[in-house]
Amino acid sequence: MTWALNNAELILQLTLTHLFVSLIPLGLGFVLAVALARVTPAPFTPGITSALGAVYAIPSLALFVALPALIGTDFLGLTNVMIALTIYVISSMFFSARDAFTSLPPATIEFARAQGLSASQRFFFVEFPLAIPGLIAGARIAAASTISMASIAAVVGVRNLGYLFLDGFQRRIFDEVFAGLLAIFVIAIAVDLSLWLLGRALTPWSRRSRV
Amino acid sequence: MFDFESLWMWLADSKNWEGRYGLPNLLAEHLSLTFMSIGIAALIALPIGIAIGHSGKGGSVVVLLGSASRAIPTMGLLFVLVMLLGVQQRELAVTLALVAIAFPPILSGAYAGIRALEPHIPEAARAQGMTGSQLIRLVEVPLAMPAIVGGFRIAWIQVVSTVVLAPLIGLGGLGFGIIQGLALRNFDQVVASAMLIVILTVLGDQLIGVAQKTQTLKLENSSGGRNK
Repeated sequence: MTWALNNAELILQLTLTHLFVSLIPLGLGFVLAVALARVTPAPFTPGITSALGAVYAIPSLALFVALPALIGTDFLGLTNVMIALTIYVISSMFFSARDAFTSLPPATIEFARAQGLSASQRFFFVEFPLAIPGLIAGARIAAASTISMASIAAVVGVRNLGYLFLDGFQRRIFDEVFAGLLAIFVIAIAVDLSLWLLGRALTPWSRRSRV
Repeated sequence: MFDFESLWMWLADSKNWEGRYGLPNLLAEHLSLTFMSIGIAALIALPIGIAIGHSGKGGSVVVLLGSASRAIPTMGLLFVLVMLLGVQQRELAVTLALVAIAFPPILSGAYAGIRALEPHIPEAARAQGMTGSQLIRLVEVPLAMPAIVGGFRIAWIQVVSTVVLAPLIGLGGLGFGIIQGLALRNFDQVVASAMLIVILTVLGDQLIGVAQKTQTLKLENSSGGRNK
């Protein structure tokens, strides 16, 4: 506890980097997963689902260091890690995003079409809002694992909360390692709650219908 | 761009295949840590998961544990346990951490698989005069098999990924080449080790996926056969 108070500034700075490194891939991965889920023709879905499932099985440290060889990014650094995390978000969210759109009531889509809404209008004003509960559920799972996985990026030199693990372990400061564990857990829960609140705020009708 | 030719040369070099830190030895270490911890976790998690799924009591604890475990960084858990037990006890500490990591998905798989059964299935079994243990052994567990195997699939991914970090606390496993290679700037070693890890994890994941599909097909075939 004293260690955390004495190093509050360091923890804050590492937390900000940690949020940056995990939230940008989360947002980017969300958009890409939704786009991919929406444009993939039904016959290709099983193939893409199992390919992304295989990608999801790759340990993050292995992907962090394999990517530079494949796409020419720097071994140590932010870009590489953020691309890898984006790939994990896409592979974790694709299936739930697909599910969120295919489980929409067909009558509603037909009704929107009959009203003369164009394909893009249908997507932005009808399908996307109705898919939000499913998409948020998928995003919450992806967020928690991305935030905890991002700590491994410290091994390839990213100074986020994972740095407290490596530094604390090397210097035998238990409180430092524990502070890192706690800080990551807390921001994962905070982001989870924010996503839940965002989902509620974006779908006011779901609350009204329950009352 | 990375030079793949030197990667092949690193892989072809016989000195990388021999001794304490040779690839076969590192692979054996990686697999034994993984299998041992998944085995121990299964021995504890399966009975509890089946009991909770069967009785329906304590389900919210399983769900809570499942989502909380996702937010705990595996590297932090590993380091905290090693520091608590002391570096001399690091093998025990790693095993404990890995068991803790494998536990929630196996538990959730068993619980969710049994909970997801239509309520009329256990009712019908009871109406036929089955006892509680017969219901579990002959009905609930066989029908929940695909979900149970699914739990092991997630446990495999989590555990095998965490073992990659074992060299950070002075143990071996295939992650050794990544950690040592990064420190020595030997990127051939880093990428070769990463490739082998990718092959191992994806292969294991696919094999468990096949087992899962076989279980599902077995269920579909047996119910289809009776309808004819």
